[in-house]
Amino acid sequence: MTSTLVISGLRVEVAGKEVLKGFDLSMASGEVHVIMGPNGSGKSTLAHALAGHPGYRVLAGSVTLDGVDLMALSATERARHGLLLAMQQPLEVPGVRPIDLMVAAGADPTRLRERMRAEAERVELRPEVLDRFVNVDLSGGERKRAEMVQFGILRPKFAVLDEIDSGLDVDALGAVARRLSGATTEWGCGILAITHFRRLLQELAPTVIHVLSEGRVVATGGPELAEVLERDGYEPFRVATS
Amino acid sequence: MGAYYTALVPIPMKIFADSASTFILERPDAAERQLAWSAFETAGLPTTDDEVWRYAPLKDLVLDRFSVAAQPADGGDSDFAAQLCQRAGLVVRVVDGFCTSTGQLTEGVEVEVDGSNRSLAGTSLVERYASDTFAVLNTALAPATTVLRIAAGVNVERPIVILNVSNSTSSFSRTQIELGRGASATVVEYFEGGADALVVPLSEYRIDENAVLQLITYQRLDATAWHVARTTGFLGRDARLRQAVIGIGAHYNRSRNDAEMLGTGAENELRTTFLGSGRQVHDFRTHQFHAAARSRSTLLSKGAVADESRSVYTGLIEIEKGAKRTDARQTNHNLLLSPRAHADSVPNLDIRENDVMCAHASSVGPLDELQRWYLESRGVTREDAERLMIQGFFYEMLANLPTELAELVERDVTSVLATVNVVTP
Repeated sequence: MTSTLVISGLRVEVAGKEVLKGFDLSMASGEVHVIMGPNGSGKSTLAHALAGHPGYRVLAGSVTLDGVDLMALSATERARHGLLLAMQQPLEVPGVRPIDLMVAAGADPTRLRERMRAEAERVELRPEVLDRFVNVDLSGGERKRAEMVQFGILRPKFAVLDEIDSGLDVDALGAVARRLSGATTEWGCGILAITHFRRLLQELAPTVIHVLSEGRVVATGGPELAEVLERDGYEPFRVATS
Repeated sequence: MGAYYTALVPIPMKIFADSASTFILERPDAAERQLAWSAFETAGLPTTDDEVWRYAPLKDLVLDRFSVAAQPADGGDSDFAAQLCQRAGLVVRVVDGFCTSTGQLTEGVEVEVDGSNRSLAGTSLVERYASDTFAVLNTALAPATTVLRIAAGVNVERPIVILNVSNSTSSFSRTQIELGRGASATVVEYFEGGADALVVPLSEYRIDENAVLQLITYQRLDATAWHVARTTGFLGRDARLRQAVIGIGAHYNRSRNDAEMLGTGAENELRTTFLGSGRQVHDFRTHQFHAAARSRSTLLSKGAVADESRSVYTGLIEIEKGAKRTDARQTNHNLLLSPRAHADSVPNLDIRENDVMCAHASSVGPLDELQRWYLESRGVTREDAERLMIQGFFYEMLANLPTELAELVERDVTSVLATVNVVTP
């Protein structure tokens, strides 16, 4: 069954300042979309707002997943409806073990430990990390990979990946990208990857690229858009907004 | 015996005093005990005017509700105690302060019921604890000292459990653990029972050169108990004491945990944790005394208070002149699970040497909102997220225990947590 994620006119305020100023995006199951944009363009704000971070206030607009208004739901319910955010800086939660987190998140407990180990292997994460407390004492790259283990277990309909590429070396990035691509066929996962590096694009082969500037999508296109960005940077798009 | 009323704080304690008198007169060392008892009578119970007892609900402490047990009373063990004993290589049973079984001893492991009044500090107990009313009471009223000795060089593989059960209305147990040079062992001092009882355990640990004692003090007394405990570690050269103190039960839970780093390179790691509910008071005191160079202490105190419970943590790091390159760290975190719960944190430093590293940190607050959101964003309900985090608060404290014990204690703590009310702001 095909699912759709539709974001329209989303305006979000953080610390009293409007950062996202009318964001639109529509995607379906199995698609890979990438959002690119300079620092401060609103990329992380979008990710946090979608996942219901308490510091972000939605001023207007809507986000629907198969017609259900996600913004009216709690963070828990959004995840249960199939939206998962893999964070740029996954938080440490001392005393909580990854397996207990997965069970509480509603994962099927059958052979869960084995499944988590298999997921860890796919992204080249040392399995011992799964016995530690969530993200505690992990390197930046290990945290990113640990998020991918959760992703593989929870199998969301849509995953938002905030700067998943930062902190990963080339090999690890390749493994993570392969895991994500695999998910698009394994269960038709829709991938929305946020980045300001082109490296991820090469690995992930997105169907659609969106360029974000000053809180709005200023260009949408195919992989050819990445080449324009590579050649000219964000400057031409910045001009387009004024 | 009009002497009862010479106490600075006159308190009705005829029943308690009569039973104490009967108990003392029957002991072979009655004269020495009588000295301790007189010292107790003279000093009287402390009051909340005394800074050290400021947070204790002493007005509720009516000694005449208790009487001194002439012999151990019968009673069954909890399921938890049974499971704990199953995991032990040796179980020493102490009922109402009386050692009733020394268990199956192996080569190099000795348990002795010692009638002398000697402290591991080298003095008599009365001298050692003259300024501590409840310890003085223990000196007068503990049936004997249960001494566990691990011979030099002996490495005890399986945990030793000292099962302290309180079936009577008062229980004064006294434990000494001695590890010879290079020995190592894991010991669990477990406390249960104590309904409407006064439970005053006094423990001492001597860890000789290069020996390692891993100690878990788990207090699961009845919610009506008065628990006033004191432990002291004496550490020789390069000795290690890793102690975890977990306080769950008792109406008033006082736990004083001291360590004296007497030999160069001695190291003490202390983790204390508690869970307060109802109108409980958890009163934790620590004193890390560094008398030798290159000694280290790491202290982590974490606790959670729910309902109308309260906690106080008072920790002193004392560094003697000449204890160069000492490294002492103290951290205290308190979790408030209800707007009516309260936690105080009072760290103190007394440093008489310049060449040292010393740090302390403390915090009091509700559950971390962002951590909770992180869990929720995976699909965990708010209620489950909070449970996981509170549980995690304790799991983190248990992280250093041997796995088989950690799992058992985790399960037990989790079962208690399931009964605690969490009110989030």
